[in-house]
Amino acid sequence: MQFAQICDQVEINAASAGTIDHAGLIGTWVNSNPNTTGIARMVVEEINGELSVRTLAIGTTGLIDWGSSEITVYGSSPSSDAAAGFACRYDFGFAETLLQGMLLKGLMVLAQLHRFKDDSDRVPFFVREYYALEHGRF
Amino acid sequence: MKRLLDFKQSSHLDPALTEPATRTLNADKLIGRWLNTNTTTKGVAEITIKQDGDQFYVNVSGVGSEGPIAWPTARAEVLANLEEEAGQRAVAFAATFEFGFMTAETYLRVNKGVLVIVLFNTFHDDSGRSNYVTREFFYRG
Repeated sequence: MQFAQICDQVEINAASAGTIDHAGLIGTWVNSNPNTTGIARMVVEEINGELSVRTLAIGTTGLIDWGSSEITVYGSSPSSDAAAGFACRYDFGFAETLLQGMLLKGLMVLAQLHRFKDDSDRVPFFVREYYALEHGRF
Repeated sequence: MKRLLDFKQSSHLDPALTEPATRTLNADKLIGRWLNTNTTTKGVAEITIKQDGDQFYVNVSGVGSEGPIAWPTARAEVLANLEEEAGQRAVAFAATFEFGFMTAETYLRVNKGVLVIVLFNTFHDDSGRSNYVTREFFYRG
């Protein structure tokens, strides 16, 4: 087994190999910052066995629906069977956005890496925001 | 005449993205040798960030079973960090390490003097390992 750090060396249960329970990701994640100028809300859903996120961002006159993007699910270790994060990409033509989310104490910490492909001279930028899962319990 | 810019969120229109001051943000806070704050880590032991002209490079040593494992050097992409650090705009780096059997994508930033890295590790082999994400903290060595 090849590894780049010793935590990559794990014993794998063949029956559950590579299977990550993504139940903890599913639902609507709402930005903790009501004044955000970025992503307002993300809806993670499973459709026909495929996990995707639908992203809604703050526009100048209302929310902008980015549509859905297939996500890659990450655990917390190579032997983990529970989701601890996800990643996905959006290509808008004029720009590309990489979203990398990590679960921390019930919050989704979302890193956004924005790269512009047009000639607008805008620099690539990084933003990190926090999202809570709407659970309807309280 | 003012040009209309494409955008998918209001922050795409942030004037800071085209300001000369943003283009020349100082990356000094990230450059240097960084040691993991966790002495028993099984992940990344240390990181060195170097500048060569206008390019930045990241060297990582992973903890191995018989000593450190040198990762392939990765070129860092500089991103304006729209979060503020001590009232000042800063930069973050993004870097990707290709191992063949695995890809490690990371972003690095400094928060209150601590280098924070988040690594998204994706396996390409048939080992059955789960893709995983980690976060580690480093102090200046």
